[in-house]
Amino acid sequence: MTMRQTFYEALLLIAAAIILGFAYTYATKQGFFAKTQPAPAVALANIDMISLDQARGAFESRQSVFVDARHEFDFLAGHIQGAVNIPLKMYGTLQSRLGGVAKDKLLIVYCDGAECNSSIELSIKLLESGFTNVKVFFGGWQEWKSAGLPTEQ
Amino acid sequence: MHIGIFKNYDMKSIPSNSIVVLLARIFLGGLFVVASLDKITDPQAFANAILQYKVVGPTFAMLTATILPSLELLCGLSLIIGLYPRGCALLLTVMLVGFTILVASALFRGLDISCGCFTQDPNASKINLQKILENCGLIILSVWLLFNKNQGSSLLQLFTKRQDNSV
Repeated sequence: MTMRQTFYEALLLIAAAIILGFAYTYATKQGFFAKTQPAPAVALANIDMISLDQARGAFESRQSVFVDARHEFDFLAGHIQGAVNIPLKMYGTLQSRLGGVAKDKLLIVYCDGAECNSSIELSIKLLESGFTNVKVFFGGWQEWKSAGLPTEQ
Repeated sequence: MHIGIFKNYDMKSIPSNSIVVLLARIFLGGLFVVASLDKITDPQAFANAILQYKVVGPTFAMLTATILPSLELLCGLSLIIGLYPRGCALLLTVMLVGFTILVASALFRGLDISCGCFTQDPNASKINLQKILENCGLIILSVWLLFNKNQGSSLLQLFTKRQDNSV
């Protein structure tokens, strides 16, 4: 078998994969064919995600503000020590809670954990509001709590 | 027609290399099939995993998340059954080299992200040097399959042979 034939085989497989991939996502209404483009895919390219260690470092340095994007009920049940609660849906009315915070202050936004998107969506709103140093702690409340780091109720 | 280990089920006629090649194909193909499943079920999560490498934009990430899992699945299955084994080996080599460069680049840039290789769970183990070494091993295996004159036994050939015998 020549290398040319090998290339043809590879091209055939690529063509089949393209057809299969688009057919599957079309049939299941996912990816490009999802009814609404989920926020993370649009947002993640421009938003920095930080790990637990980085979040802990920022917390210990006291040079950042943690913003909790969860519902108030969840926030009251427990949150990262010193965090400010701005539920995503209440951003319009509660953004004043960050009124005294400098626009270049490091804001670390989190929600429950990897399964939620509200931290990402809230960080978009914060960026749109003029905050320039916004990061998302994707592991969120669950990862923070599991690590035994400081919390309060 | 030579059909490797399935030829009349005579084990003495089996070149040892055929078995090794077949096992290598099943291993590599199986690995890619497994790797594709989680990505296929949730293209959005895979697109997010790609975005975390901060190399491409959302549209290209989604395009990759649409096509790449299918390509992994097709190549994996084809390699296992012995359909276009060289074409598969070529594609797997290209993909593995690409993945390795991407992981190395992310490590170099200090990104603390999960690989997105087998699971889309962001809390999965983070990329590290071990991942690169694993990929290098797989690259060697796929290159060996690509240039090996003996492509091992084909399950398709077995099927064809059985049909021939029944006529």
